[in-house]
Parts: sequence; C-alpha cells; structure tokens
Amino acid sequence: MATPDSHLVLHGLAIKKHADAEAVSKLIGLPVDRVKTALADAVKRGRAVEAQGRYILAPMARMSLDGEYSKYYSDLRANADFVAAYEGFERVNVELKTLITDWQTMDVAGKRVPNDHSNEAHDQRVIDRLGEMHERADKLFARLAAGLPRLQIYRDHLLAALEKAEDGAIEWVSDARIDSYHTVWFELHEELLRLMGRTRTE
Amino acid sequence: MARSLGTWTLALDGSASAEKSLIGGKAWSLARMRELGLQVPPAFVVTTRACTEYLRQGAEPAELAAELAAGIAWLEAQTGRRFGGGSQPLLVSVRSGAAISMPGMMDTVLNLGIDDATEAALAAECGDPAFAKDTHRRFLELYATIVLRGTAPELDRAATPAQWREQIATAAGAMIPATAVEQLQAAVRAVFESWNSRRAKRYRQHNNIPDDIGTAVTVQAMVFGNLDAHSGTGVLFTRNPLDGSPAPYGEYLPRAQGEDVVSGKFTPKPLDEMNKTVPDALAGLLAAARVLEAEHGDVQDIEFTVQQSKLWLLQSRAAKRAAPAALRIAVDLVDEKRIDIATALTRVTGEQLAALMNPRLADSDNGGKPPLASGEAACPGVGIGVVVTDSDEAERRAAAGEDVVLARPTTSPEDLHGMIAAKAIITEQGGSTSHAAVVSRSLGRPCVVGCGENALSQLKGRIVTVCGKEGRVHEGALPVIKPDESSDPRLAQFMQWKRAADEQEERKGTP
Repeated sequence: MATPDSHLVLHGLAIKKHADAEAVSKLIGLPVDRVKTALADAVKRGRAVEAQGRYILAPMARMSLDGEYSKYYSDLRANADFVAAYEGFERVNVELKTLITDWQTMDVAGKRVPNDHSNEAHDQRVIDRLGEMHERADKLFARLAAGLPRLQIYRDHLLAALEKAEDGAIEWVSDARIDSYHTVWFELHEELLRLMGRTRTE
Repeated sequence: MARSLGTWTLALDGSASAEKSLIGGKAWSLARMRELGLQVPPAFVVTTRACTEYLRQGAEPAELAAELAAGIAWLEAQTGRRFGGGSQPLLVSVRSGAAISMPGMMDTVLNLGIDDATEAALAAECGDPAFAKDTHRRFLELYATIVLRGTAPELDRAATPAQWREQIATAAGAMIPATAVEQLQAAVRAVFESWNSRRAKRYRQHNNIPDDIGTAVTVQAMVFGNLDAHSGTGVLFTRNPLDGSPAPYGEYLPRAQGEDVVSGKFTPKPLDEMNKTVPDALAGLLAAARVLEAEHGDVQDIEFTVQQSKLWLLQSRAAKRAAPAALRIAVDLVDEKRIDIATALTRVTGEQLAALMNPRLADSDNGGKPPLASGEAACPGVGIGVVVTDSDEAERRAAAGEDVVLARPTTSPEDLHGMIAAKAIITEQGGSTSHAAVVSRSLGRPCVVGCGENALSQLKGRIVTVCGKEGRVHEGALPVIKPDESSDPRLAQFMQWKRAADEQEERKGTP
C-alpha cells in the first residue's frame, strides 16, 4: 500500500525529533513543499506541535503512528531479501556499538578510561575499523535501499559522515549534536525497527 | 640493519641500514630494535619497490616467488624450524607497512603456515592439541576475512579443518590455497592490493601523499608462549599508564599465546611472577624497557613473549594513558632531563587538563551511606539535580533554570534534547555500549547505566547526586570539590610552563 504524506512526515518526526520541514524532507525523501503542507495539516489536526519552525509529534499521534506501520509496510515485511538484509544490519549493529565504545573509551592497562583523543594511533585505528565495517555494511544498505528506495538517504549520510571523520574531523564519528556516523546509524536503526515492527534490545 | 635476498626482498639481520621508504615503518622499527641490541623474532621484508612494480605491471615481479622462498629459508635457518612441515613447524605473520602509516591497508595475518600436518606437529610439540587446532581455526578465519575479503562464517569449533575450509569456500566464493607457500604469495599480493583500497586512496589524496610510493610487506617468524612451563606472554608499560608512577607495570600469562591475553580466558599475573619461572627473561625485559623508553623519550607499551626461557620483543609503541598519568609522566620526564618543556607541553592535551580539573565528590564513599541506586559507570563526572523521567519535561525545566537529572528505562534518539538539557543521565537497562552511554559520553554528561528494572522511577522528584565515575546515584546534593593547581604540585608546574609558553607565543605575535 502506498504510504501517504501524512504518515511519512509523522514517521520522519518520530525518527528526528525537533526537526524542521527541511530536515524531514531530506529524511523521508519528499519535496519540501509537500512536507510543509503535510506538517501544517498535522498541526491543524493536533497530531504535531510546532515551535519556532521545528516540529514534534503530539503524544497521541505517536501511538496512532505506531499502529500504522503494519498497514503500510506489510509487503516489505514479506520481502525475504529485505528481511535478510535487516537481520544482517542487526548483526553489524553489535559490532558498531563495540566500535563506538572503543572510540569513546580506551583500554589503558586493562581499565576503561575516557578516550580524550590524546593517542592519535588509537583514534586512527578505530576510524580505520569503522571504514572497514562500513564497507561491509554498505552491501546491506544497498539491499535495504533496493527494497525501499528512500533508505538510500541513510547510505549517503553515513558515507558523508565517515569521510569527514576520515579526513580528520573526528566529531563526525559520534557527536550526538550533528549527523555524525553514530547519529545517522542510530536513526537508521530506529527506522528499520519501525518498518519491521520490532523493538530495540539494549 | 638489513641484507639483500635479491632485488625485491631484504632480511632484517642487523647489518647495513635500510631506508624507511624502502622497508616501511613497521619493519624499520623492528630493525631499529635489533640495532639497539634487543631480541625481536626474525623477519624479512618485501620492499615498497616490489609493490610499486606490482602496481605498475599488474603482476608480481617474476623473481618474487623465488625471493620469498629465500626469505623463508632464511627464517628457517634463524629459528631452526621448518615452514609447511617438519616436527617443529615455522609459522609466520604477514603485515603491511608503508613508510607513512595509513588506513585501509591489509590487517595482519597470523599463524600462516599451519595446515593439517603442521597442526599435528604443533600439538605434539606444545602438548596441547586444543591450542593447535584453535590456532588453525583462527588462521583460517583471519585468512578468509583479510586475504579473501569475505565475511567469515562462524566456524564450528567441533568441525574438522577440511569442513572449515569448505565452509569458507562457500561463504567467500574463493578457495584457500592448498599449500603454505601459495598462501604466503596470496597474502603478499593482498597487501599490495590494499594499497589501492578506498580508504588508503582517500587518505593519500587528503594528505598529499604520492600514490606511487607503495607499501612494504613484513614476514616475521611467530614465537610461542605456550611451549612449556618456561614460556609465556605479556605486556609491559615502562611506567604506570593509569597514575603515571615511574615503576614498570604489566601483566604476564605463563604458558599462553598472545591471543589468550586478549580473550580474557586466563587471569594474568603481575610481572614479578616471571621471577619464579623465567628470571633471566624478566631481567632482560626490564633492561629493554629502559632502553626503549630512553630511545623514544616517552612511556612505552611493550608486547613480549618468552619461548623456552628466551625473551622476544614483539612490539613497542607509545602507551595510551589516562589523564593523571599523562600529566605526571610529562612533568617527570622533564625532571629526569629526558624531554624538554616544549615536548612536555605537547604530551598533555587540553581535554586531559579539563579532565584533571573535573569536579569530584568530596567524599566518594558518602560516609558509607548506601546509594539510592547503582549501575555501570558510563561517563565520569558529577551531576546534581532533581530527577525527571521524561525528556520533554527535562528540557522544559532546564530551560526554566532548574538543574535536572534525566532518568529513563533506556534512551533513544527521541531523548536527545532531554539528555542535552540534563546535568546527568541515569538508566535502568543497558550497558556500556547502550545509546545512553554512547550519547552521554559524546555530550560529556555524567552517566550511570543499567541500574536495574524499576530502580529509578521511584526517584522521580528527588534531588540526587550522580557520580559517573563510581556508577552511583546518591541522595541529596553532596559537596563537590573542584581540583586546582594548589592541590597538585605537578599540575601547578605544568600550568606555569604553559603560561610561560603562551606568553612567549603572544609576544612573538605582536609586532
């Protein structure tokens, strides 16, 4: 079943809270004009709340949104290759989490201490591992995007964040305030969990 | 430092010196250790020139196969072991190494040379068939991922090596070569190929490194720390990397191979333990530690193996260190006249100084009073505020000027605004890799995770003090102290140097 704009924009807000129309448009792959119209409509119907051009879901809208995924993504949930790629993603996700932890903390004589980025060799090694992992994961991203073309955006953003980190702007590994590798990865994970109707396991 | 084995390879035999541009950084530091009179396992190098030639003509130089054989023969003569056969098999590691280290280069392949026959020989030699089989499995996994560039399937430990090879062939769509010699050739080629990996190419482009300088390949004999009671493996720090105190610090695992240290299967023992079984190796190790620290003018992290009482140094590099150690070591090395003040100033980063001056609890034990909740320490620091269980509420109340502590069962991207607003973050579920832990570290918010189901919801509305270092949530607002120069003479000394340097820099800046 085709997903209506009204669902897609709210879905975008579920992934990226406090996003403006521009950011929602980028995330869900709809022209910004259509996103603005759909957001204005959602605000009118009490499904979203606007503050200074940024939007959040209204609490009730969240619940009804959660109920909509099975309707719009039943085909995807039955798509064996998509499901297999999703399961592959969950496996790489375990690796990514370890990697991000190794980025933020380092092992000093068997003890975990915060990585204060004073050891360049350690940082380079982790970014190298991230690049290696990305190259393997990218094959999964391609299969996910084959099943649902708008997921390509995550693939592009992940590569962009990785390349910035590789070029020395190390905040692009995991800074939560920007679309860092970890930020985008986590949003993609949230997206996939919603599409597949699964819940996160910590 | 090296002797030619032909046109494309050099044996690192301690003779005439070789350029770093020819043998790469890793081989160069091995050769340098030999020059300093230290024992490193024998190694030979396929030079960067061979790589350049491979990249130019798209195939190995015709003589390379024969020179690899000569290199292996040299390693056999040095070690008294045989490659691909015999009762004492020679296994080697294969690693990449350009003159400038860069990402995307091939990872190290270990234990190359093991096959069904050498596995049996190794099992007999060390009296540990399980170790020999595990070595075989680890080699096949590494080879599949690194050389065949496939996703290694999970190899069933109970299966036979033939079944493992078949499993890998199916998953990787390529066969593992039948003989050790062919495996070595393929591994060398894989190093050459990695020169043109996406990451390596981007790195060179970004850092203006020429594309045609190539990488070298180091082939080194493996040593075994598990052959008998007089064998073992360990790591030594020339100073304590946690607090910086000057005594060497390290761990030793008797009768174990390098991977065992990482696996956590065994509990390592303090270095003194070596006095019981391998006292000469310990003396040699401590002497080597002094030499290497003097050579590099910095605290070293040294990996070593003792094989039948003989000490072998595997690697020495600048040690990772915690902030207190960074400060103490930098100041001490100046006092010992090992480095100058300008160098010392580069050894402690701004972030480390900030960490040293982080507020901490005046009494980390809170007078023995049990905490309200405790969990895994995810991000150090102290945060005090009223417990709020909703991210929107946290943001709203923080915006109104209140100090809040965000308590959640778990966090997800939807909680980011609440996490940014909070003074500290505590969660009921999840460990050190959970979203809450990752995000709080990236925000620098004190964080305790995994306090237990329903451990936090009842704290709603109470004032608490979160200690992210110990992983505890205390009742009320506890007194904190902010360390400064008056509490630490080394910090005072360092800051004085820093101010003097900054002033000088300023004077230079004004015309």
